[in-house]
Amino acid sequence: MNILFIEDDAIESLKLHRTITKLGMRHKIQNAHNGEEALAMLNSSDQPPDLILLDLNMPRMNGIEFLEVLKQDEKLKYLPTIILTTSRNRADLLECFRIGIAGYIIKPLKYAEYESKLKRVLEYWEINELVKG
Amino acid sequence: MDNKEVLLLKKALERQKKARIQAEQILEQKSKELYDVTRHLQGVNERLEYLLNEKASELDGVFINIIDPYVVMDLDFNVINMNASAKEFLGYDHTTASINLAALVHKDYVEYTAHSMKSLMEIGTLKNYRAKIMVKDGTEKFVQINSSLIYDKENNPIAAQGIIRDITKEWETKELLRQQKKQLDIIVENSPLGIVLTDRGRIIKTNSTFRTMMGYKEGELQQKCVKDISSPEDVENSASLMEEMNTGKLDNFTVVKKYVRKDRSEFLAKTAVSAFKNREGKVEYQVAMIEDITEQRSLELQKEKLLKELEHSNKGLQEYAHIVSHDLKSPLRSISALATWLSEDHKHVLNEQGVNNLVMMQEKIEAMDSLIDGVLKYSSIDIGSLEIGRIDLNAIVNNIREIIFVPEHVRIVMLNPLPEIQADHTRIHQLFQNIISNAVNHIEADKGLVTVSSKETATHWHFKIEDNGVGIPEEYHKKIFEVFQSLNSQQHSTGIGLSIVKKIVDLYEGEISLQSEVAKGTVFNFSIKKL
Repeated sequence: MNILFIEDDAIESLKLHRTITKLGMRHKIQNAHNGEEALAMLNSSDQPPDLILLDLNMPRMNGIEFLEVLKQDEKLKYLPTIILTTSRNRADLLECFRIGIAGYIIKPLKYAEYESKLKRVLEYWEINELVKG
Repeated sequence: MDNKEVLLLKKALERQKKARIQAEQILEQKSKELYDVTRHLQGVNERLEYLLNEKASELDGVFINIIDPYVVMDLDFNVINMNASAKEFLGYDHTTASINLAALVHKDYVEYTAHSMKSLMEIGTLKNYRAKIMVKDGTEKFVQINSSLIYDKENNPIAAQGIIRDITKEWETKELLRQQKKQLDIIVENSPLGIVLTDRGRIIKTNSTFRTMMGYKEGELQQKCVKDISSPEDVENSASLMEEMNTGKLDNFTVVKKYVRKDRSEFLAKTAVSAFKNREGKVEYQVAMIEDITEQRSLELQKEKLLKELEHSNKGLQEYAHIVSHDLKSPLRSISALATWLSEDHKHVLNEQGVNNLVMMQEKIEAMDSLIDGVLKYSSIDIGSLEIGRIDLNAIVNNIREIIFVPEHVRIVMLNPLPEIQADHTRIHQLFQNIISNAVNHIEADKGLVTVSSKETATHWHFKIEDNGVGIPEEYHKKIFEVFQSLNSQQHSTGIGLSIVKKIVDLYEGEISLQSEVAKGTVFNFSIKKL
């Protein structure tokens, strides 16, 4: 799958890469560091990603702001977007589901747990029919 | 005597005879006339006497037959005559003892009586003399007397007669009414509300409270209309409501409107208007109760503003708590990942101590993570909004059994079916979970037992959670509910759990206490106010 990973933290990015490598998965990861960058990528690319992993707390354009823009776009709104965040804030959770998300994953403290969660998420989306193009 | 002389004498005699006859004739006629007159007079006299008798007996009949008490007295108030009714009413009989009417008059009316008597003597009649008297049996009667003088043939007043009317009942009723009116006036005049009686917008009566509110003196408002003292902006609304009332569509209404004082300043008042209808159901008066709410309104506005500010700052605080916790937790996750990778990637170059250090590092990271969670929860208890719903506490305890780690040798038992209560689910869950997990975590006995029971009182739900754990030394019983007070250095003990418990109990206006003995166990008693 082509995954757009929207996250400002470098170590988080390392974590995802390491997890995919370790699990022997062959997903292509594009990393955007905030919502603005992600939108620019989406708009300039001919080939949209299959899945978006979205952090909420980011500089410039945060996750929820990005999500709102995404869901208003006639084409991009079909992209399954999964929130990957440390925030247990119920208000955020409700707001995300209201706007429209494909999942809300809390980043666990332990890396091992992170691996197992990500494994399940990616395996699940791998067997899904995705809106290509 | 010569012939001439004789002749003259004869003539004279003749004349005298004639005159005498004439005189006799006149005398006879006059005496006949006199006789006739006498006869006539005799007849008249007889008739008069008859008439007099007749009238006297008539009067006697009238006197006896007067239903009201009737009294004749001399000019010194001594009774000369009285009818049966008077005897009965006064309780005295003039034929058996002398009665002086002045002595019966109540002392409050003595002066008035003297004055009335003077007026009777001057004018000859006295109408509507009203006084209180004391009759023989000691009861006080209120009487009304109409009286007139009786004169002798020389037209000198010799006595007075009067008809007494007993108006005690009437007077008592009047007195009662007067008293009730007085009481009513006291209520109306001392009411903290302004009270106004109007007739189709025209002011009929006001109480002093209203006049004080308006800055008018007594009487000054009487000629005015309601619209004269209302702010122009409110006139239309009031008028249309008044119209609905007058047409019978409304029996009462309440408006908040502005009134204009005499000095042209305005004040805001709550006005409740009720219709007063007559027997035909037509509106006769309107009664308005006016309450100055200027101060109240400004307090309300102030309260509203404060509440909004508080809401805003609460929201801000909660946001802040979430952001801080996020910003603290993110680097912890990075550190944890890095430490994990360090031990994964460099296992072969690390000695035992190096591996141990990394393990300890992970433990510290975990402790810090749960501390951050705890602080966030603690700070969210009173700033988050409460979502009140029905909670089945049996389900809560069952759920807690599943989500916390309960070692095999520990049992959690409900001693009685727990109630359903009205409260915020998250907070109540947190409350029970914190106490129960605290109990479970501190059990060292071979067979651990945590019991939960409940009791109901009129105002509160009381709960008891008991364990046979290590117990809490007495010196910590108070401290235990304070933030960051942990009694041991177990890694999953942040010291926040029981302070969260205390805060939730406080939030529900309950009490919490504990009894504990080291090595025996701990009992937590807490209550939650019913909603």
